[in-house]
Amino acid sequence: MIGQSHFYGQVSDFSHIDFKKADSIALSLSSERLTNLPELSLKLTEHLDTDVERFRAIYRWVCDNIANDYSLYLKNSRKRQRYKDDSLKFKAWNTKFRQIIFKNLLKRERTICTGYAYLVKTLSDLANIDCEIVQGYGRVSTTNIDKLNLPNHSWNAVKLNDKWYLCDPTWASGIPNPETNRFKFAYNNGFFLTNPKLFAVNHFPVDSTWWLLNDTIPTFDQFLGAPVIYGNAYKHLEFVDQPKQMHHDIKKHQSLNLVMTVKANLNKEDLHLLIDNGIEPKKVNLSSINIEGKQLKLSHTFDKFGFYDVHLYIKNDLIATYTVDVAQN
Amino acid sequence: MTVSLAVNKNTGIMKTQVLTQKSSISTLSLLTLLILLFTLNTAIGQTNTDTPTTNERVIKGLISDENGPLKDVNVRKKGSRNGVVTNEKGEFTFPEKLKTGDVLLISFIGFETQEYIIGAETTFVSLVLTEAMIEMIGALDANTPYRSKRKN
Repeated sequence: MIGQSHFYGQVSDFSHIDFKKADSIALSLSSERLTNLPELSLKLTEHLDTDVERFRAIYRWVCDNIANDYSLYLKNSRKRQRYKDDSLKFKAWNTKFRQIIFKNLLKRERTICTGYAYLVKTLSDLANIDCEIVQGYGRVSTTNIDKLNLPNHSWNAVKLNDKWYLCDPTWASGIPNPETNRFKFAYNNGFFLTNPKLFAVNHFPVDSTWWLLNDTIPTFDQFLGAPVIYGNAYKHLEFVDQPKQMHHDIKKHQSLNLVMTVKANLNKEDLHLLIDNGIEPKKVNLSSINIEGKQLKLSHTFDKFGFYDVHLYIKNDLIATYTVDVAQN
Repeated sequence: MTVSLAVNKNTGIMKTQVLTQKSSISTLSLLTLLILLFTLNTAIGQTNTDTPTTNERVIKGLISDENGPLKDVNVRKKGSRNGVVTNEKGEFTFPEKLKTGDVLLISFIGFETQEYIIGAETTFVSLVLTEAMIEMIGALDANTPYRSKRKN
């Protein structure tokens, strides 16, 4: 797939490029159907000068026009679990489901992750942009962490100016309403050419080529033990420096310490915690906030024993969750 | 270059002399040059008698998958907007005349895109598309706060 001496990048490599033109082209084509992909790819890309803009128009169009089919997702998860130890049935289901997915994509413009990744890849191929589908594990707050035994998510890697980049069109397109489970479009730009270090917190590729990390690759256990991060983390964070694990055993009067790098400068008032002891969540201010440029050093001291879910918020956006078990001294 | 000139101007005997004097690399370049001169001659000969436009022709075709003909398949000329979709019977007639060396891109959602190069004798394109063999999976992102499982 890719050689050893490749360079990996992130969106800041293109800070000199304004994606407004690409985005407005994508928006102007929102009535296009999927019946003629070569034509769609051409329309999206023909008036743009650089590959990154061409790719942006394709990616943005897919994110804004393809809805996530939650019922299909649930059906597939159930079947995959049921057949996971029967390779014949598992394979037969995958074939059948693939046909269901493509039919739905074409007729109703609804899909699940691999459908997004497939469309981004196919439209990119047609525009001579080197793009791959990455299969792997995606970990979010509602994932049953104990059951993460089969790949459950797909995203893309794209080669622009000889560097590989990561993006996640499915998660960028929107999220289901937690009450109704109905999908709602809400474009999140944080999943476009994301810093691979942030991406690695909740994306585990089956093919290790696609970590695109220069430093050590996490083990699967480390991945399962990482903090839960949310879509809004991608909006606000460059990466999570510390800690690498979600759970912390501490003693009374000890602290949970967080270090993270943000994209835009923040004030102390932009930060708060929601601490849930299992009975009543409480909004609290951090014991200590230290802002050095783009780096935040946060610390919170626990004075009562108990087991806490600790949620970090930036500007009222939920960013990350840690669990803290405070022992009696 | 000097070697080739010598050959062109002199007799066969002279040629052998030159060849034996020079290294094998020179021999090779000499041969290459001769071949080049020959092909150049024939190429010029061809353009004189046979212009590229004369082999333009109507291309028809049939696109199917393992279960039979496929309708709504896109057939497009590579590098152009010109194209057509297959009818109910999986058939198409390309709207412009094509010539040898033109490339058709055949694509349909869920199938591998195929390229077909129009050969010297091509008038009918028959292709069987293969499904894109990807495993369909999908997890959704969620904004619901994580909740630890508690024993109480």
